[in-house]
Amino acid sequence: MADNGNPYRPIKTSVLEVIPETPTIKTLRLKPDEPISFVPGQFIELTVPGVGEAPFTPSSHYSVKDELKVSVMRVGKVTEKIHALEPGDTVGLRGPFGSAYPLDTFVGKEILVVGGGCGFAPLRSLMYALFDRSAEFKKLLFRGGCRNPGELLYRGEIAEWGKRSDLDLVLTVDNGDSEWQGPVGVVTTILDNLPMNCREGVAIVCGPPVMMKFATKKLLELGFAEDHIFLSMEKNMSCGLGKCGHCRLGEYYCCKDGPVFPYSSIKGFGNIWE
Amino acid sequence: MQYIAEGNSVELLRRISGTYEVYAPRKNARGYSLERWNSSAAPITMGGARMSEPLKAFFFQPRQLVAENFSPNIPPLSGKPRCIVGVKACDLAGLEFLDRVFNAPEDRDPFYARVREQTLIIAADCTAALDTCFCLALGIDPFPKKNFDIALSPVNGGYLVETGSEKGRDIVTSHSNLFTEPDEAVLSKREEQRARVKRDAASRIDECGVPSVTSSEQWIARHYESELWKEEAKPCVECGACNTICPTCHCFLLYDQMQGGQLARYRTWDSCLYKDFARVAGGGNPRHVLWMRLRNRFEKKFDYAPKVLGQTGCTGCGRCVAACPGKIDIRNVLKRLATHG
Ligand code: SF4
Ligand code: SF4
Ligand code: FES
Repeated sequence: MADNGNPYRPIKTSVLEVIPETPTIKTLRLKPDEPISFVPGQFIELTVPGVGEAPFTPSSHYSVKDELKVSVMRVGKVTEKIHALEPGDTVGLRGPFGSAYPLDTFVGKEILVVGGGCGFAPLRSLMYALFDRSAEFKKLLFRGGCRNPGELLYRGEIAEWGKRSDLDLVLTVDNGDSEWQGPVGVVTTILDNLPMNCREGVAIVCGPPVMMKFATKKLLELGFAEDHIFLSMEKNMSCGLGKCGHCRLGEYYCCKDGPVFPYSSIKGFGNIWE
Repeated sequence: MQYIAEGNSVELLRRISGTYEVYAPRKNARGYSLERWNSSAAPITMGGARMSEPLKAFFFQPRQLVAENFSPNIPPLSGKPRCIVGVKACDLAGLEFLDRVFNAPEDRDPFYARVREQTLIIAADCTAALDTCFCLALGIDPFPKKNFDIALSPVNGGYLVETGSEKGRDIVTSHSNLFTEPDEAVLSKREEQRARVKRDAASRIDECGVPSVTSSEQWIARHYESELWKEEAKPCVECGACNTICPTCHCFLLYDQMQGGQLARYRTWDSCLYKDFARVAGGGNPRHVLWMRLRNRFEKKFDYAPKVLGQTGCTGCGRCVAACPGKIDIRNVLKRLATHG
């Protein structure tokens, strides 16, 4: 929590740039009046003055403190207004909230990152952190999927990732087009025959709920341990303070105890995928 | 312990009202309600049972401005601090619950904390139980034991006085001429009276068969998929009255508007029975069916709260029983949770 006395007030923030990514996703480059530092896994609340707040996970590098980027999919009232923002507009930011990916516990292990659709956005800041420390991990794999090539987020940047020697990258789309040369099918179809020892490895999953559900099922079948599968849970986060009650998941508040949870700690609760 | 005669107690309130805005219970057609008190007002009802409304609105307003523009300042409090008189044991427990949510030492809500700190709580014994009272099932006796500044037990036309905080002790010490030492007879009279009210409260519980809720931890897990939720939720019209009237319900909504060209953020009471309470922006809703939301209300109070906050989220006040237009009776649900399936 930003310790500014009033936990509900947003920090005044300028929109520096609006980058169209896909037909439904735009990335905002933001400069808050006071620096906000986050670690991968945490989220912030973005305010459009007079309209409301919505939670997002920054997609930029965690070490850049004076600016941050968020990628926003247009799905509702607040995101509609976010898409209408232009450089020079004023917004607000609150946070960061929640817990981080436990990167230190990944040292010496093989790591699989599975992303789907808009889940690429929060994963980008995680990937930056993993790249920075890649020598400490045994192996790094990224498996991503989205509906069609046009919806692939950060396409140019991810193409560059494909050239990295410290990353094994495979992307798939549900429906290909004339240019698409990669595999076609949902993300679970590219999880077979992973070049890693799943029983010893760590998996991180982020994406739409249905994708997370089936990816988790698949990872369990592949032999990943329940406490080595880390899920980024999307709940209706609002206050970020563990008080408004909106984001409860079993014995946890997603905004404080999550949003990243090992599967083992939440599997017993009802309706986790909805 | 001290004793204060009826006349002196009015004098004490008169003196307190120099510093505090005093609210005291008054009997009306609906039961007991808190009203602004002044020394010329009609006599207050110190005993009786709980007030119709819980105390939470004093500390956690139904609608409160929590941020203006981008200012880190907290809008200042206006007026005198409040003194609330005649608070009963169930509502003291409700306050303790809200303290756990909004006033945990490492994680205070500044809006709640500052009002809580400056408010003076004068509690009182219940002298009768209402039909809907089931405090005993929650392990709460119908007389104040903690969470008060001063507690009064009506005996022999005056009150036995206990203090529960530095603030309370200061008040009693600085007006010591109004108090006397109680004699043995008064003390034993109080015990007799408390035992009688406790029997009265126990008989209400026996009448409707509410089980003891002090060991409810497995109830929800055991009945998670039970038909009972669907059956119980049938008459619910999603009005949220049960949440509004509940002393422990604390969920809120943040909503923003423009006011004079500036951002104004309000915090308002919310209800977990409303359809969109847990809905995410992408459209997913973990509790899209009403009975799931009713189950959630019980899960939060009787499973989450004892496990995580260390206190059950129900005080047995019975207000939701009286408030529900669908006549959903929490006592009945608890009975089913304890016995059914
Ligand atoms: S759930 Fe009902 S009986 Fe229990 S504290 Fe809330 S209003 Fe009172
Ligand atoms: S008071 Fe009754 S009808 Fe209204 S939301 Fe609560 S349970 Fe449903
Ligand atoms: S967002 Fe309010 S409790 Fe988690």
